[in-house]
Amino acid sequence: MELKESLAAYFKENADYFHVEIRLLQYEVQIIGLDSLVDLPQSIASLQTQTSNLVHASLQPAALLKILGKLIEPKLEAIVPEIIKGNLILFEPKSGTCSAVLPISKNVTRSVTSPETENTLYGASSAFQEDINTNIGILRKHCSGGSMQVETYKVGKNCPKSLLLIYHENRVAPRLLHSVQAKIKAGRDQEVDHIQQLGNILGVNPWSFVPNFNMTEMPQNAAHSLQQGKIVLMIDRYPFAIILPSLIMDMFCLKDDYNYALPFMYLIRFLRIVGALIATIIPGLYVALVSVNPEVLRLQLALSIANSRQDVPYPAFVETLLLLIVLELILEASVRLPKSVGPTITMVGGIILGQAAVSAKLVSNLLIIVLAGTTIASLRLSDFRTR
Amino acid sequence: MNKSDINNSHMDNPAKPRTAIKLILLLVGAVPLLAGCWDTKDINHRSLPVIMGISLTEENQYKVFLDIPATNETSSVNIVSETGDTINDIIDDISMNMETQVDLLHLKIVIADKNVARRGMEDIISAFNRSRDISSKTLLAISDQPLDQFFSDMEAKSEQNGSIIYDYFEKNAGWNPQLADTRVWQMFRSIHSYTHDVIVPIIRSGQSTSIECLGAAIIKNGRMTGQIGTDETLVANAFYGKSAFGKIEVMDSATVQITSNRLSHHSWLQDGKPYLRSHLRLKVTILDSRGHPTETQIKEKLEELLTLRLNKMFRKTQKEQADILALGQYFRKHLTREQLQDWRSGYYPNLDFKLRITTVVENRGNLKHL
Repeated sequence: MELKESLAAYFKENADYFHVEIRLLQYEVQIIGLDSLVDLPQSIASLQTQTSNLVHASLQPAALLKILGKLIEPKLEAIVPEIIKGNLILFEPKSGTCSAVLPISKNVTRSVTSPETENTLYGASSAFQEDINTNIGILRKHCSGGSMQVETYKVGKNCPKSLLLIYHENRVAPRLLHSVQAKIKAGRDQEVDHIQQLGNILGVNPWSFVPNFNMTEMPQNAAHSLQQGKIVLMIDRYPFAIILPSLIMDMFCLKDDYNYALPFMYLIRFLRIVGALIATIIPGLYVALVSVNPEVLRLQLALSIANSRQDVPYPAFVETLLLLIVLELILEASVRLPKSVGPTITMVGGIILGQAAVSAKLVSNLLIIVLAGTTIASLRLSDFRTR
Repeated sequence: MNKSDINNSHMDNPAKPRTAIKLILLLVGAVPLLAGCWDTKDINHRSLPVIMGISLTEENQYKVFLDIPATNETSSVNIVSETGDTINDIIDDISMNMETQVDLLHLKIVIADKNVARRGMEDIISAFNRSRDISSKTLLAISDQPLDQFFSDMEAKSEQNGSIIYDYFEKNAGWNPQLADTRVWQMFRSIHSYTHDVIVPIIRSGQSTSIECLGAAIIKNGRMTGQIGTDETLVANAFYGKSAFGKIEVMDSATVQITSNRLSHHSWLQDGKPYLRSHLRLKVTILDSRGHPTETQIKEKLEELLTLRLNKMFRKTQKEQADILALGQYFRKHLTREQLQDWRSGYYPNLDFKLRITTVVENRGNLKHL
């Protein structure tokens, strides 16, 4: 009983560790696993169903366990990783054979839902989720050709995760593929809990303001990128596909656009580009026009701006900065807040950015319009992170 | 699997933040150097005069009027004036005495008193061109009445709207082809060119309308030498190609509207005498007719009338040696630079100029019969 005790010692802090004995055919078998990952009654029932038609064959314990699962060394080092993975360990003490069985597992993943961070008008609306196998399944449905390749890497030392490298064999550029493969292999020991760590493995500049890879929650976007010859990375328990490399036009083009008529597609993309330019230029342009070069404005406009800025205490620069910060605060707060408190922020923010700030003579009327335009324009971009 | 080696590899790949931090510090350090961002005045701390009036006092000093549209709700226009020796000096004085900075960037119209125009505006125009804030697109006009009177009338009339005069000259608002349209740069060109003179509208405050146009002043080398009426201004504008939608009354029988015009020239020099044959092609539409004139009659009369008006104006300018139609331009290839110097005095008075006018009546104003 040495193994049993040492296992119990190893898992003594874990409340979900179980160790029960059942009877399979003529043998007393110990079942070991984690209650949180294994559906025990169902698994036992399944094991017994499988063994019930083996009654007449007199099998050695090793042969029996081999039929049920994969034989492993009855040692602590071999068993613990299997338990943590969520497998069930069968141990027959008399002969000392041990096997890891794929159990009926408890469902710890949500079902496939519609995307939360992206919206699609005309297109499939199932999103990736946490379970990596489901994700590959969805992706395979979208790429029905045979050339999609899925490579699995185990990365991380303490908390190993599977990192999937997916590509279209016929489309991907070999140089890109080899360099990504080499980088993942070289960085195998590093943890990947978040995107920055993935960036470290891939050797991208962490200080870059421009995202080095696109992320999408929608399988059709990932499939489209694969078609274009890009590489998709997926991390276990991370419901986004990470697309490499990211091109500048990815900010303005979406797969969804192809579902419109061609002229509309080009118009929409053009609008997004204009939106990006407006969002970057307008606040600065406002300051420039109001305080440095008012001669550019038409006379009537200049007069009405001057009128709306009467009694505003701050120079245009400070005024714009102030309101931009408030705007970013509101945006950040509304992303972070739970849905039940969200409307409060919308309302309060609306009051601050609306009439109140103007009537308090803190900012001018026009600035509100300018900033509203900026926000709307900046949110036109296809990816939230590129804002 | 060992429990002891947990959580020691989170910071295993610190990126190189040093260069980035250095760069950011450098950029932050460069902020005070952005001198252009500090010494600026917001738009509500500037006065944006739209009209400048210039007259002469009895002591031969300039008196400058500025018409500043107000930016508050209570009043609509603010008129300030000051006397001094030079224009810039006066503007400086006004700026000093006002609560805001006078900024001539939006100046649209300069109105000169008739006396100033007769004495010559060369100094004023070169002052405008030297100062960087007055646009060379600024319009010029001449006032027929004393400017004190003119501006006080304007102030009384602009209760709702501070930019009456501006709108009066604005191409997309109140402008008509009977009004001459001359900018500061054109005046500057006229002062320094051998072959180019300009006409400047003459205005005064009106009885029922705010402003009345009395025709245009002939300006030679920046000095007003004579005057033409509004009808002649329309012909001159047609000659410049700016006549679109001008209306002409053809004797007593009809009124037509010019919809487009084209002009071609043929010039030559024979025995030192310049010859010019021009051909003006007009497209007109009939607005109203009295009796039942035929189309041919209207055409003939229109051509006769226009030729008459043009010839009258041409002879007047020949007498004054002011080439307002810039006919000398067509002789630049025939004359040397030294000869061009004498264009106004030597050649222009002898110019043999014949204008042929062809009219096309485009439509009869949506009616079948005349």
